[in-house]
Amino acid sequence: MKLEYVLYGFGILFSLAGIGYLAATYVRNLSEIGKLASLVLTVGIFASLTRYFREIGW
Amino acid sequence: MRRNLYLYLALACFAGLLAIFVFDGYMGLYDTVHMVTGEQRITVGPDFWIQQGQPFGPRGPVPFEGSGADYFISADRGAGISFTYEIDNRRFSAFREEVDVSVWRSQQKLRDMISQPVAVPGFAKGEVKWAIDNREIVPADFPSEQTFQYTMVIRSGGVERRIVVSLNPIFRLEKPIIQ
Repeated sequence: MKLEYVLYGFGILFSLAGIGYLAATYVRNLSEIGKLASLVLTVGIFASLTRYFREIGW
Repeated sequence: MRRNLYLYLALACFAGLLAIFVFDGYMGLYDTVHMVTGEQRITVGPDFWIQQGQPFGPRGPVPFEGSGADYFISADRGAGISFTYEIDNRRFSAFREEVDVSVWRSQQKLRDMISQPVAVPGFAKGEVKWAIDNREIVPADFPSEQTFQYTMVIRSGGVERRIVVSLNPIFRLEKPIIQ
């Protein structure tokens, strides 16, 4: 049972690393205004998700 | 209901993020060099210049910083090469620059090919065409059994594209192999 959680952890970690790598590759070629808009939207995603999790009682 | 609103908001932000990636990737200035020599049709697209770290830039030309990328082609000594330099302007503003093309060898300019202003409106393509006869470039006393190289340098809007042309040697048999 515990081993499963460790594997889940690795899976999540590698997924996040992959997404992070892809995002960094994309962001490198973005224009300055595109970078700014992406930053604002990323903050929006985290803020909305934080609020959502708080609303459902996490 | 209200908690779902934040979830939808997060999804909307994510969709916006993807839309920015797609839109921003499409927008910009892109240049392509088309070459035709003999039976060869060669296209050097913007991907090549971007991979070499010399993009035109998402919103405008990036100044050339030396150590440029060279694209190598080969051609016959007696043939000509026709070039088409295409500029794809995916911006709202027009692109107005001078396109200078010259032929170089061993850091020395052999000749100027063309120098003409190009005006490309927003979301349109513009092109400049020229041709070169390889026989006019090779000196008369250059050994025919040696490869002759020259570089076609295309300068436009602060960027430089270099096409290195290798002219194939001509081998002449002094006596037939089979007698």
